[in-house]
Amino acid sequence: MADDVEVDAFKRLYPAQFLERYLDASVRPDGRPLTRSRPTSVSFNAVSSADGSALVKIGNTTMLAGAKLETMEPAADTPDQGCLSVDFVMPPICSPRVRPGRPAEEAYVITEQLQNALLSSGVVDLRELSIVSGKAAWMIYLDVYCLDADGSLLDAALLASVAALAHLQVPAICVRSEGKITKAPPDAQASSDGIEFTQPRRLNLGEFPFALTVAMNQKSLIADPTAEEEAILDTKMIVILNSSQKIIALHKAGGSTTASTATIQDCLALAMRRRKTLQKVLEEALRKSTK
Amino acid sequence: MEFVGPEGLRLDGRRPLEMRQLHAELGVVENANGSAMFEMGNTKVIAAVYGPHEVHNRSQQLWDRALVRCEYSMAAFSTGDRRRKGKGNRRSTEISLVIRQTLEAAILTNLMPKSQIDIYVQVLQADGGTRSACINAAALALAEAGIPMRDLVASCAAGYLNGTPLLDLNYVEDSGGGPDVTVALFPKVDKVSLLQMDSKMPLEHFENVFQLAAEGAKAAARYMREVLMENTQNLARLVTAT
Repeated sequence: MADDVEVDAFKRLYPAQFLERYLDASVRPDGRPLTRSRPTSVSFNAVSSADGSALVKIGNTTMLAGAKLETMEPAADTPDQGCLSVDFVMPPICSPRVRPGRPAEEAYVITEQLQNALLSSGVVDLRELSIVSGKAAWMIYLDVYCLDADGSLLDAALLASVAALAHLQVPAICVRSEGKITKAPPDAQASSDGIEFTQPRRLNLGEFPFALTVAMNQKSLIADPTAEEEAILDTKMIVILNSSQKIIALHKAGGSTTASTATIQDCLALAMRRRKTLQKVLEEALRKSTK
Repeated sequence: MEFVGPEGLRLDGRRPLEMRQLHAELGVVENANGSAMFEMGNTKVIAAVYGPHEVHNRSQQLWDRALVRCEYSMAAFSTGDRRRKGKGNRRSTEISLVIRQTLEAAILTNLMPKSQIDIYVQVLQADGGTRSACINAAALALAEAGIPMRDLVASCAAGYLNGTPLLDLNYVEDSGGGPDVTVALFPKVDKVSLLQMDSKMPLEHFENVFQLAAEGAKAAARYMREVLMENTQNLARLVTAT
């Protein structure tokens, strides 16, 4: 008992040295080797009120993404395209550092990074969201809620977003001749009286983007850091790749450690390995959900 | 609209005095001191409790008891139509206040002076009875956090449609224009902590509907106690195994 108190006290008073003792032995406080990510799981239909939803857990970090579809009028310069709007929220339940009324700084940063990653990866072809050219198109509202913040938030948020989009079911609609769009009744038949019916469908998605956060100090690279590790190692690099090994995004925002080109290459290698794992996890989960 | 069919069944197949299926899980948010997920039919909410900890705003510190704060918010995808502002609107502020006051009555705040207890509730799916589900989830989260309470607060709602009292209304029934009576009580001493009613109802029916909601709350309390017992047994098993 006394030993526990001493370790705890040391951890609080000297967090950097506490972590260094572990890193020097090539292991982390939770027992993982430096380059191993935490167990990841994806499950679908967490929220039945959304048109598509996914719950992702990477270790204790939990993200719930819900996608809802609404019809809208497409912009004049892109009459054949719908829209994807992404919002990332860190409600106060996710962390003791988040207080009501004052959104966490990270929430804004991650929203930006998430939106950019999803749009530039081309995972959703906005032309697929068109209903009637120039008149109506689908708007996908993707809301990602962090339910438990324990580090590597962008990794989990991106995986949850992609999973929710993969699970998204575009509802059957009927388009009346005067342009009114309503949800079609379940037993709708083929077109008659100028009314067109469409079938419910999943989206044809492009290649999935996957992210890996790597924290670093002068001596080592630590993949998939927990919140504790992120707080002590103030430098991290986020790599986003897709299935054909194309780099979607790279983020390294300052920090006390500067990275050499070798370090960047190592991060990319770690990200490539992680992408394979995440792709398998996601595909397995999708397969199970459609059974 | 007919809310109770000729065979005596409601829109979702339940009988008038039947509650929806309850499901609760503890410890869903690792970061929190106590957390719980509570489902009543399709209504799903998560509650997380942080505390007791030092008061963030020194000027609000109370010398003789704990400060209890509560925030209720709804996820954008929780309702049929996407909700743009899940908190800060009038309804959310009112419900935050209601939950805080209901639970504050149960917490033994004078055992933790000069401290703060934060209760956060997030509605993931809303299908009627969100207020009750939130109170139940928050009570479980407080219990899991080990915060001393007078009793385990439990809540349920009941209404009156088509000439029948109905227990645990879902969203469609709630929007049916009939009254909605929400009750939260301390089951062991049979005392009411929260009582809210909206819309109109003849006086002679109130007693029945109120009793129905109270019975529902007691049933919820029995289920919550079971869940807590099982959780404690699992913890005890882990401790003795090591």
